[in-house]
Amino acid sequence: MSDPNLTRSHELTSHFFRNEYGKLVAVITRYLGTENVETAEDIVQEALLKATEHWEMRGIPESPKAWLYTTAKNITLNVLKRKKHQRDYANSIERPRLDEAFSFSEEIIEDSQLKMMYFCCHPSISENAQIALILKILSGFSIVEIANAFFSNEQTINKRLVRGRKQMRTISFDLDSKDVIEERLGSVLKTIYLIFTEGYFPSHKNSVVRSDLCLEAIRLAKLLTESNNIVDKTDCYALLALMYFNISRFKSRISDDGEIIDLKEQDRSKWDAPLIQTGTQYLNRITEGNSINKYGILATISANHCISPSYEATNWVQILALYDQLLLLEDSPIVHLNRIVAFSEVEGNEKAIEELFQLEARSDIANYYLYHFTLAELYKQCSKHKKAQLYYEKAFHLARNERDKELLQKKINTLVLIPPSQLS
Amino acid sequence: MREFLLLIRSEEEPKANLSPEQMQQHIEKIGGYLKRLTEEGRMKSAQPLEMQGTMLSYKNGQIVDGPYNETKEIISGYYHLLAKDLDEAIAIAKQDPRFEEGIWRMEVRPIKHVEGIN
Repeated sequence: MSDPNLTRSHELTSHFFRNEYGKLVAVITRYLGTENVETAEDIVQEALLKATEHWEMRGIPESPKAWLYTTAKNITLNVLKRKKHQRDYANSIERPRLDEAFSFSEEIIEDSQLKMMYFCCHPSISENAQIALILKILSGFSIVEIANAFFSNEQTINKRLVRGRKQMRTISFDLDSKDVIEERLGSVLKTIYLIFTEGYFPSHKNSVVRSDLCLEAIRLAKLLTESNNIVDKTDCYALLALMYFNISRFKSRISDDGEIIDLKEQDRSKWDAPLIQTGTQYLNRITEGNSINKYGILATISANHCISPSYEATNWVQILALYDQLLLLEDSPIVHLNRIVAFSEVEGNEKAIEELFQLEARSDIANYYLYHFTLAELYKQCSKHKKAQLYYEKAFHLARNERDKELLQKKINTLVLIPPSQLS
Repeated sequence: MREFLLLIRSEEEPKANLSPEQMQQHIEKIGGYLKRLTEEGRMKSAQPLEMQGTMLSYKNGQIVDGPYNETKEIISGYYHLLAKDLDEAIAIAKQDPRFEEGIWRMEVRPIKHVEGIN
């Protein structure tokens, strides 16, 4: 007789454990208080472990969520019973009574995750720690996984988490107030965008982890759009539009060898049409509003690239106008630098080089390798290969990770292959 | 076909340090392996064992707890399997994807069978 359990196993949706981890930690913390977030993390890890032990042998139950929620609730109640007499819990009376009100309803989950996101992204916590906290608590990444994603080590990530959790204890803000939710939305979006950017600009060849980070950032942003607590979601839609347009080019921008391919040389037939479609839908939702933010402008720039049949046919005039608009919102050297490519396409390389020198004179942009890289590219296009080589080399010395160094070395090598007679 | 008992051994709780994503991958891999063996009619039963429990022995006229192993090794589950002979049972055991995690040991033992009696 075969074990009947094994034949009627159900399937788990992808990243089920990761996503449920985030939901459970958020809800349990709601009852235990943010000062006990680590206890909540331990409880959920234990619940997932129990699920693993049972499901690996007996198959996945019909309702894995219900199974997990009941298990997590029971472990939480046991932990509370054990700690009953401890001072930590003496003031827990003000909180909802766990045994009576413990609920994993959709509303409670959504509300708890939103609040947790706001706690993790509180401006009093350092950016590095915010990212680590969000990925650990809401995204269910392990310390090792976060360390791998950020090319760091377990010790460093753990330190950030410890500091972040400690800081979290001191935060008090009224997240039931819609005004506070509105006011702090910017810092949440910023952290989500940082997670996305980390995945999108790979500083290493591990593309699997990278796209994971991008998709996780999108999932987090979607949680915001699904929330009833946020009234004006324009900025959330703008960020989602930007992220969708950018990931639509994911497959074409990394070669089989794991190298980044310039926009100019990308095979546009590999761009993902359904993702561009989704991006467009989000973009349409923001144009209904009357204000546009940073993400909206960046999304429109990205959309311009996505809809252009070729690099040459790109509407550079409009992209340049968008960058000028962005400068009004954020007059930073990085925005100036990013604007230069569009500027050179409209005004020519010579003028663009002139602009870059002016930027260097009034900022510290020369410490950044991409400044020299951009100069080198412009000189190369003017066929001034000696100068191009000089700036590639400067970029090479400033580049911080191996992957960028590799790319720059390649650029230098191809320049060297050009016969000296053509060097000017 | 002969019957085999496969004892899954490990140090303490090796899965405790897996990340949520790794736990899911673990379930999906082992689940797929067991499902295939079940469909082939080879797997009679596969069960996890609780961490609790005790060791009993008879000493000085009474049953007592212990002695416990010095090592922290425990049996965390078992398979009850059908195979042609020991070699085939070993071959099946080796296919268990849990070995990829590098934290498991498995003991493969034929269930004693006397011809014509049981």
